Amino acid sequence: MTEAQEELLSELRETHGYKTQTEVVMDALESLAGRSSASFGSKLSHGVEPHEREEVMRKVIATASKVDEIIDKHGKNDSQLIQILLEIQREYNWLPKEALLWLSERLGVSINRIYQIATFYKAFSLVPRGRHLVRVCMGTACHVRGSMTLSDRASQLLNIDPGETTKDMRFSFETVNCLGCCALGPVIVIDGEYHSKPSTPELEKLLNECA
Amino acid sequence: MAKRIGSLDDMEQLRKRIVSGIDPNKTMVTICGGTGCQAYGSDKVFQAFTEEVKRQGVDVEVGVKATGCHGFCERGVVIVILPEEICYLRVRVEDVPEIVSETLVQHKVIERLTYEDPQTGEKSVKESDIPFYKHQSRIVFGKNRFIDPKSIDDYIAIGGYEALAKALCQMTPEQVMDEVKKANIRGRGGGGFPAAVKWQTTRSSPSDVKYVIVNCDEGDPGAYMDRSLMEGNPHSVLEGLTIGAYAIGAHKGFVYVRQEYPLATENTICAIEKAEEYGFLGKNIMNSGFDFTVEVERGAGAFVSGESSALMSAIEGRVGEPRPKYIRTSVSGIWGKPSNLNNVETWANVPLVISKGADWYTSIGTEGSKGTKIFSLVGKVNNTGLVEVPMGTTLREIIYDIGGGILNGKKFKAVQTGGPSGGCIPEQFLDKPVDFDELSKVGAMMGSGGMIVMDEDNCMVDVARYFVNFLSDESCGKCVPCREGLRHYHKILERIVSGEGRESDIELLQDLSDVIKDASLCALGQTAPNPVLTTIQYFRDEYEAHIKERRCPAKVCKDLISFYIEPDKCKACMICLRNCPVGAISGDKGLIHVIDQGKCTKCGTCLDLCPTRFNAVTKLSGEPVPPPPLKREVTREKGSEQ
Amino acid sequence: MKQVTMSIDGKEVKAKEGMTILQAAMEVGIKIPTLCYDDRLASYGACRLCSVEIKKGERSRIVASCVYPVEEGLVVETESPRVQKIRKVILELLRARSPGLKEELAERYEVDKTRLDRDATFCILCGLCVRYCAEVKGANVLGFVGRGTERQVVFFPDIAFKTCPTCKECFNICPTGVIPSDFAVNVPRFEKQPTVFPVRLRDEQNLREFIKKIE
Ligand SMILES: Cc1cc2nc3c(=O)[nH]c(=O)nc-3n(C[C@H](O)[C@H](O)[C@H](O)COP(=O)(O)O)c2cc1C
Ligand code: SF4
Ligand code: FES
Ligand code: FES
Repeated sequence: MTEAQEELLSELRETHGYKTQTEVVMDALESLAGRSSASFGSKLSHGVEPHEREEVMRKVIATASKVDEIIDKHGKNDSQLIQILLEIQREYNWLPKEALLWLSERLGVSINRIYQIATFYKAFSLVPRGRHLVRVCMGTACHVRGSMTLSDRASQLLNIDPGETTKDMRFSFETVNCLGCCALGPVIVIDGEYHSKPSTPELEKLLNECA
Repeated sequence: MAKRIGSLDDMEQLRKRIVSGIDPNKTMVTICGGTGCQAYGSDKVFQAFTEEVKRQGVDVEVGVKATGCHGFCERGVVIVILPEEICYLRVRVEDVPEIVSETLVQHKVIERLTYEDPQTGEKSVKESDIPFYKHQSRIVFGKNRFIDPKSIDDYIAIGGYEALAKALCQMTPEQVMDEVKKANIRGRGGGGFPAAVKWQTTRSSPSDVKYVIVNCDEGDPGAYMDRSLMEGNPHSVLEGLTIGAYAIGAHKGFVYVRQEYPLATENTICAIEKAEEYGFLGKNIMNSGFDFTVEVERGAGAFVSGESSALMSAIEGRVGEPRPKYIRTSVSGIWGKPSNLNNVETWANVPLVISKGADWYTSIGTEGSKGTKIFSLVGKVNNTGLVEVPMGTTLREIIYDIGGGILNGKKFKAVQTGGPSGGCIPEQFLDKPVDFDELSKVGAMMGSGGMIVMDEDNCMVDVARYFVNFLSDESCGKCVPCREGLRHYHKILERIVSGEGRESDIELLQDLSDVIKDASLCALGQTAPNPVLTTIQYFRDEYEAHIKERRCPAKVCKDLISFYIEPDKCKACMICLRNCPVGAISGDKGLIHVIDQGKCTKCGTCLDLCPTRFNAVTKLSGEPVPPPPLKREVTREKGSEQ
Repeated sequence: MKQVTMSIDGKEVKAKEGMTILQAAMEVGIKIPTLCYDDRLASYGACRLCSVEIKKGERSRIVASCVYPVEEGLVVETESPRVQKIRKVILELLRARSPGLKEELAERYEVDKTRLDRDATFCILCGLCVRYCAEVKGANVLGFVGRGTERQVVFFPDIAFKTCPTCKECFNICPTGVIPSDFAVNVPRFEKQPTVFPVRLRDEQNLREFIKKIE
């Protein structure tokens, strides 16, 4: 534990009152330990080995201090909520649950508002995302040039639907709107590289190249 | 630290100083860094140029500059060599050494890289001679190609911020207002609402705090005009915004940029910083006593957040849902304060009106729609890209004279304008002038500038379904007519394209449309029926073919087509057979290939890969797939293949 | 407060500025059907059942009466043919989601039963429970997630555990008569998702029985 994290933990214990803050941490603890939050009531993370607990706690503290850093940058103001969420998303490439709970505490914004926003906008993901990002343009111009077929092919090869991530966390697959290169349409972008209308074998080769 | 500009004189001197530092005869290579050209690798081309001019020892005589989008995205990477205006297209990194040694050192033109007319074979060396550019009037967008978006001096050199100086130092807010009113700028974001009327409402609303906002959410899924303007020339938008704020009496502005446009965000933030250094933003701008600051807000990706009340909710940090707007946002917007929202392009028109005057501005365009409009001309057209034309230019001029006609000599079917709120316009209206009023008369709208050309191979039912899919995803889902109406639209269209359509479906679609249009809360729902209604109106026969004959005339709808290998054309080359991802093709060397229709997933790989000289794979629709031939050996014509 | 004079269904009506058309109509005994309106909550304007036709000069348009403010000289028609058609189709759309909803109104507007495919999930997203919980109780147990046709009402069990057992006030608010009580009484089954709070969907079996009962 770094000094900053330790400080945060004690701050969380004392200044803000053990009760609510611990609950936040425990919730996160539970989710991180791979248990669903189904166990209403039993807030304490029974069933988690002590050494796991410490590991998890460390992660949670790290997340919480990161979130605090981001809040400080944008100002502790609920009008900055979307901007803060965008930055958390950029930091982790998804929105971890404990980050959202912590944010809710810190900004005094109810958790339902945060979830509404996090599920409303396309930029946010509530699940971790893959190492490689595959995007197929579904803009109108690409559509009239056959992007449906292209996205079906990618779906078939990756064995996931748009918006999903492969189990091995290798790929996330998304559809997007016009990327501003309609002349190339239909376009697929793999980790920022644009490819114009690849055939199935070409696409397969491109995907195989991603480790 | 740059010197703060305090007066009109200062401004003029600054411009003179900047211009005198630029040798007009110095060769300047401007490389388009727009999104299209970036996809073609313009970053690498830029880097190659920077290195190559050094290597060949001409880095003193020759400048290299990466600019915003030039517009001719079809032929990226586009470069223009100034002052001669030599325009090279489809430039790749490999071409750079030759361009430097031939053109930059020896002043010789490389024919191969110049524009060649696909029909006449005629070459054009100068940018302005290329038909794509010749028929445009790029008063707003054209500046992109002279400017490095990160350099405020580039913008000032071509007269930037003079309009602001003029407005603040020589005009009262009322005079600015009058000029804008006289110019009759109408909103480029789609609605065409007169900017001056909206400004006036905000101006006369009693409140100390007022806001002005740039809408760069650009939700239309097939358009990128606003992006290219914001990325390529952010100062022109900021200048317009500041002039507007002065007229309205606002001291705080927001630029709402979708997060999918990171470069636009970056360039805007950079532009704000630079403008603050010169004192074009901040306190007491140009000693006029007027204070104004601008902040960038990122949009997190929702089409509906481009709607004015939704956008303002998003700026407040709440979910971007439209509010019932019976009290206008120009009276009660962000945090209940009067807030004036305009589109990127609308703001970019403001400096022009102030510096050149309303009389000049109104000489361009039609009776009701003044000035120019930028379109993203895309789809099945030869020259895709961004084009700027005077209002009132006909669709035919845009698609044929500028766009160079339909791709691969196919037949034009329709042009879709106005994005998800617009409609599909058939051939009989190609001579309609494009402005705010004319296209609405045929059920479409000019919209924010998407213009998607479709040919005979596009299925209009599929296009309707595409927009309905988009809207069911992008509607906020709050009000019933929009959410539930779109849900059923979607179901009905899905069943039509899969051959399950019912005779009553067309009528049902029309019946739902009336209610969605009338009763929805915001303009998303109110205009959602347009793509459906226009395709029914002009292409009813296609709907009927799907419903009554289970046939897709354009052979697009997957469930209604089959891939078929014509036995007499198949040369049994094994290519399709090996590449079919589901192994649906049987045959062998010397044995004609046959598709197992039960296994086929209709991915079209076989059609793509069948060599064009054989051309054996076709699509069938509305007719049974012939049974496999009895004799499967390939008969080789003598001497055709060894 | 200023008074305005307007006409509703041919009746001259005096109303206070700041009122909505719906309130003004109610005061003179004209009943406009509503669904997402509740006088304890801020107007939401989502169901559009309260749509009325207003005329200003030559132009006429449809507005939601629960949010549209009264205006001097406004001419309102609450049962014009255009309005009736809207109510009919809106009820039709709603009843495809929640069969049995607003039986009387459905009869009054002769709602077609067969045209639309039924897709019964019962929740019609009127937001009454969500808004009641937030605006009146300040508990925020319920919330919306998603957008477009994917929008749903969810509840947050961690908070629900603390407040719901002693409150249960939202039980009678739901126009479909089932959703919030289901949320709060039955121990929800949780989908195993790493972060999203569980979304309670009605039990298949339950659903079928319920549909049988009302048919
Ligand atoms: C669903 C919806 C999406 C919209 N998206 C945009 C957009 O992306 N960009 C834009 O400038 N205007 C958009 N608008 C229009 C805005 O509501 C608003 O009218 C416009 O920004 C006003 O600027 P203007 O008067 O300069 O056109 C949208 C409207 C609706 C209903
Ligand atoms: S019309 Fe659609 S997008 Fe607009 S408020 Fe209603 S549901 Fe939301
Ligand atoms: S529509 Fe795909 S890049 Fe424009
Ligand atoms: S009662 Fe007015 S919209 Fe629902």
